[in-house]
Amino acid sequence: MKSEEIYKAWKERKSQIDIRENFADELMNQIYQYESEKRKPLFDGHRLIELISAHRFVKAGVVTAGAVTGLVRVMFVVYAFLAC
Amino acid sequence: MTQETQVIRQVLEGDIESFRLIVERYERPIARMIRNIINNRESCEDIAQDVFFTAYRKLASFDPVRGNFSTWLFTIARNKSINALRKKRPLSMSELPQNSDRHNPSDELAEREFFDELDAGLEALPSAQKRAFVLAEFEELSYEDIAQIEGVRIGTVKSRINRAKKELAKTLKEIRYEK
Repeated sequence: MKSEEIYKAWKERKSQIDIRENFADELMNQIYQYESEKRKPLFDGHRLIELISAHRFVKAGVVTAGAVTGLVRVMFVVYAFLAC
Repeated sequence: MTQETQVIRQVLEGDIESFRLIVERYERPIARMIRNIINNRESCEDIAQDVFFTAYRKLASFDPVRGNFSTWLFTIARNKSINALRKKRPLSMSELPQNSDRHNPSDELAEREFFDELDAGLEALPSAQKRAFVLAEFEELSYEDIAQIEGVRIGTVKSRINRAKKELAKTLKEIRYEK
């Protein structure tokens, strides 16, 4: 075999490639997933409400936190009133 | 406006499915270029997918005035290949391709042996020379496009390709002498 023939055959072999059939499908799925993630809002209010109402302890925790915050606020008002 | 630029515009306007046309047009050249640079058949498709995904995410930054789309895409592929080569672990002795019997008279085996030698010659080239050679010989890109992809002058590209060809010619000569 001549050098040129070897080189030509090698080049031809290197120029061939078989890629998996679903290459484009896989990639497009990845892109659609990326787009749907991108479109999700950073803060989803409905999801938060669903989460709170689904768990008894979370619900109790939120109510307690609200009550404590209210109490602290009332205390501040009373303190400010007495300080005058 | 070229057909490709029109497709890109459609994608940017929200027609995601149009990007499939770009993928189907370039999947083979991009995967082939990566395979020939990193010399790994298995991971070249994964890296090629990463190239297209990056291209999709950065599509808005493509400027047709600065160059054509294929050059832009090949530049992303070039950068990903360099990163892959940096991460690539060296092959252990057991993973290295076994040389066939040098004295086997079979033509097919001899041809395969020639190819293995040339593959090894290509693999041994300095990275920049190998990339320029692969883009010129297997992807048949112009020197101007290669210069743009590599971010160097055309003269540098020519000299890299010439040096790569000389090295491979030397390999070919050695094969001839050994036979």
